[in-house]
Amino acid sequence: MSLLIKDEAPEKLIDENGKRVDGRGLKDLRPIKMEVGIVPNAAGSAYIEWGGNKIYAAVYGPREVHPHHMARPDRGILRVFYRMATFSVHERKRAAPGRREKEISMVMENSLSPVLFLELYPDSALELFVEIIAADGGTRCASITVAALALADAGIPMRSLVTAVAGGKADGKLILDCSGDEDKAGEADLPVAITWFNNEISLLQFDGIMSLEEFEETIESVKESLEKIHEMQQEALKRKYIDIRNDIKENESEHQHEGGDQEI
Amino acid sequence: MAVEEEEIEGDDDIDIDQIKDKQIVVPGEVLSEDLENFNPGRGTIRKDDKIVSVYVGLKVIRKNFINVIPLRGIYNPKPGDKVIGIVIDKNPVKWKLDINAKYFGILKPSNTLKNQKSRRPRGEQPSTEDLDVGDVLIVKVIQADRLHHPELTTVGKFLGKRHSGRIIEIPPPKIPRIIGRKGSMINLLKKMTKCNIFVTQNGRIWIQGDDIEHECLLIDTIYKIENEAHTSGLTDRIKEFILNEKSKRGIDQ
Repeated sequence: MSLLIKDEAPEKLIDENGKRVDGRGLKDLRPIKMEVGIVPNAAGSAYIEWGGNKIYAAVYGPREVHPHHMARPDRGILRVFYRMATFSVHERKRAAPGRREKEISMVMENSLSPVLFLELYPDSALELFVEIIAADGGTRCASITVAALALADAGIPMRSLVTAVAGGKADGKLILDCSGDEDKAGEADLPVAITWFNNEISLLQFDGIMSLEEFEETIESVKESLEKIHEMQQEALKRKYIDIRNDIKENESEHQHEGGDQEI
Repeated sequence: MAVEEEEIEGDDDIDIDQIKDKQIVVPGEVLSEDLENFNPGRGTIRKDDKIVSVYVGLKVIRKNFINVIPLRGIYNPKPGDKVIGIVIDKNPVKWKLDINAKYFGILKPSNTLKNQKSRRPRGEQPSTEDLDVGDVLIVKVIQADRLHHPELTTVGKFLGKRHSGRIIEIPPPKIPRIIGRKGSMINLLKKMTKCNIFVTQNGRIWIQGDDIEHECLLIDTIYKIENEAHTSGLTDRIKEFILNEKSKRGIDQ
């Protein structure tokens, strides 16, 4: 059956002026919007809009581990469930989790667990559900970024936050934060996650062809943009509480004005 | 049922009302690099030569300790805590109670008043017939460590099964704000809404009022305190809120 809209990547990913398909410069990020505490039933939750990606993350627990044989008597475990909605990609995705979902769940577990004090939760599990509502390249990086926010919002002690972004190569030029088209038609894709408490890389995957010099240059530019995203994460966590404070201050000043009028 | 008095639970020794500049911090944020004058306190760790927060919370300096009071989190059972539990399972030798913690609590018949050895008729075995699944109890934690399920008792003042009233839940770190400094907030709530309140450490609050209007007003007030727990001047604002709501709803006029 043919689709009404064809899923084709454009022929040229970078035009003569050095602009990318969506009008960005080579080292520009897509617009990012983050919010915490939006799933009321979860212990902690967060939502991110990163370009065309829309992702929810929710944390439950610590709670009992099922199946029981996965429990560890000396420490807790982090279980990540990365799932894509059937409508999140161009052609309908089968609902059953496949090889890719299992892989991304695993790399997310490995990149997030260094910041957690899992020894505090023996015999129990922290369960993190990541639901991709819309996907447009770089979902694993966006998922790690939003998962760190959800864990922090749940009040789980963490050494630091975790931030991730992808570098890459398209049309022979090094780029940052690959979109869906650049992922598919580009030459290389390099997702990187960093744990801020020791400034170490906790996720590094690579797909494509790149010289060693290009690789090092990409890592350097990724590090710069990671810092920007980290600031956004911190701001999103604080905003939830600062907004309430500001509302109260506004109300109080309104009250004072009203009181002043009455006296006159 | 006799009118029960609520007991004021252990007040948090850090009083957030006294500190004016309550800075909100996030995990990994450096709180101080001055290790000569400051020590890492609660909710912080020392990383190299820095004191670093591990929670989203309020930064509070007390003497030479830097603490972070978390704004959300789970309840960690400690011996001596009074908590509200709901019976989720029973078998001939014990009840299992949901106490809003990582593990369920265990209540044995020998730790209930009726089945204590001195009160039990000679030759009779303790049984778990008294309580059913779904019953709500106020219990005390007598033993809790990281290897065993917390053990509970109903022998003690104010403890035992609740036959009436309502239960609401808020995040456990916000419980000290419901109580207030030296119980100021809870006394205010009790006086203005004429309700019985029992606040427990696991984030559950038992309330019982003369009529449903007062109970609803109290519930709304508690959720307002929970929402604004990180702001200053809360007691005065709550007093004003209750007075406003009373005139709006036409209670006590």
